[in-house]
Amino acid sequence: MILHIDMDAFFASIEQAINPRLKGKPLIVGSRDNKMHTVVCAASYEAKAQGIDSGMSTADAFKACPNLEFVPADQSKYIWTSEQIFELLKKYGFEVVYASIDEFQIDIRDETELQAIARDIQKQIYANFNITASIGIAKNWLLAKLASKINKPNGIFIFTEENLEGALAKIPAKKLCGVGEKTNVVLEGLGIKTCLDLYKKSALFLEQNLGAYGLNFYLLLHAKDSFELEAGEDKPKSIGHSYTLPRASETPGFIKAWVRLLSEMVAERLRQNNFVSSTVHIWLNGPEIGGFSAQKTFGQATNDGYEIYQRCLKIMAKLGVKTPKIRALGVTCSNLTLASYPALFKEQQKRQKLLEAIDKINSRYGDSSIFPAQTMFTRRMP
Amino acid sequence: MKQSGFNPHSRWDRHIPETSDTPQTGQLDEKIDCFAWFRAGKIYPQAFVWNHKEYKITNITYNWQERRGRELISFFSVSTGADLYQISFNNTNLSWRLDKIIE
Repeated sequence: MILHIDMDAFFASIEQAINPRLKGKPLIVGSRDNKMHTVVCAASYEAKAQGIDSGMSTADAFKACPNLEFVPADQSKYIWTSEQIFELLKKYGFEVVYASIDEFQIDIRDETELQAIARDIQKQIYANFNITASIGIAKNWLLAKLASKINKPNGIFIFTEENLEGALAKIPAKKLCGVGEKTNVVLEGLGIKTCLDLYKKSALFLEQNLGAYGLNFYLLLHAKDSFELEAGEDKPKSIGHSYTLPRASETPGFIKAWVRLLSEMVAERLRQNNFVSSTVHIWLNGPEIGGFSAQKTFGQATNDGYEIYQRCLKIMAKLGVKTPKIRALGVTCSNLTLASYPALFKEQQKRQKLLEAIDKINSRYGDSSIFPAQTMFTRRMP
Repeated sequence: MKQSGFNPHSRWDRHIPETSDTPQTGQLDEKIDCFAWFRAGKIYPQAFVWNHKEYKITNITYNWQERRGRELISFFSVSTGADLYQISFNNTNLSWRLDKIIE
């Protein structure tokens, strides 16, 4: 069995634990200091009750709820708390994995005292961090994750053989991790409205209508899980990062620095997963160009941030406008394959060693402890 | 099988641009003297002196750490009863700072 722990309104709850004045109040955590020009990256349950949620612009949030409390995000607190919770969970003696900064999964194998373990985890988290978590337990991670959302906040839900179909029948298919808006439209067209409708479909039906993605969904939904078992198609299709600037900028050095930073971030994740990529995709958004998006496939796959950056510049050269104003940008790498071949040439080998050393330093001292000097230019808005 | 891995160390907030219109409410970043217990690898600040005035800490509401290169910084949000402050201890130069007043 898999136990999925989902922290309740994680960032907002930590801020409420730090500042008791904020407890019980509608609170948003903004991704930047500037209260009216940023996006909501977390909302307390009191704010969620008033229709505020992550991803909303803070200006819209304040319009909907003028008495909102605002705190700018401070990643160090959230990362530290996340790591401490991870360490706490390891003490239970099972394998633990990070699903995201505020979600963890434990393979509790054939443990029978499911409720007791879940309750104890909730108790320990609250005692140590003064925040709550919701827990879902099921035969595989996808259902466990879904179960964790059923009794939020501070709840526990277990999908058993007996209650599984009854519970799935009450949950819309779009609540399932991996079902986005587009997929949901396709599913509705196939007459699939609830999670049970999806669960009951055969592997053949899902593969015929949704391709490999559908088959993977079937495998994930029906898996009797242990972390050791590998899914047929578990690798990501692409890895990307994007960023919205505080305001539009036309300074080439600043824009290039952001492209470099995003390229380095993507490259680091490629290396962590032992992937190389041959297709680079860049999108830019600005008042003059609207949305610009282009991709190119190159002969040689890479996971070197500098190489990805150079490829981005080549694609950007197609833009036509010399120094357009840019407000948001993103870099994505796809066509991922396993990095199974060592570098052939001396220069490449040297570069590989350099990247390995950088990764080692950042892994020991925290990300961005060492970084390309060019990315320094991202820190000062021109 | 597992959900795709996640790296909790991602610290790209370090690259977020400073804008001139960014409000810095409550930011102090001043050196302080602090009286603290160091017990079993943990730090418990008890009182601090700021501007020649002593502030007794009645409650540590939260604490966390951040590594900045070689330095390990321990942060504490502390209540003096009337107000809430963020103070920090640098384990390399063994100094305490009053980072900000939490509003």
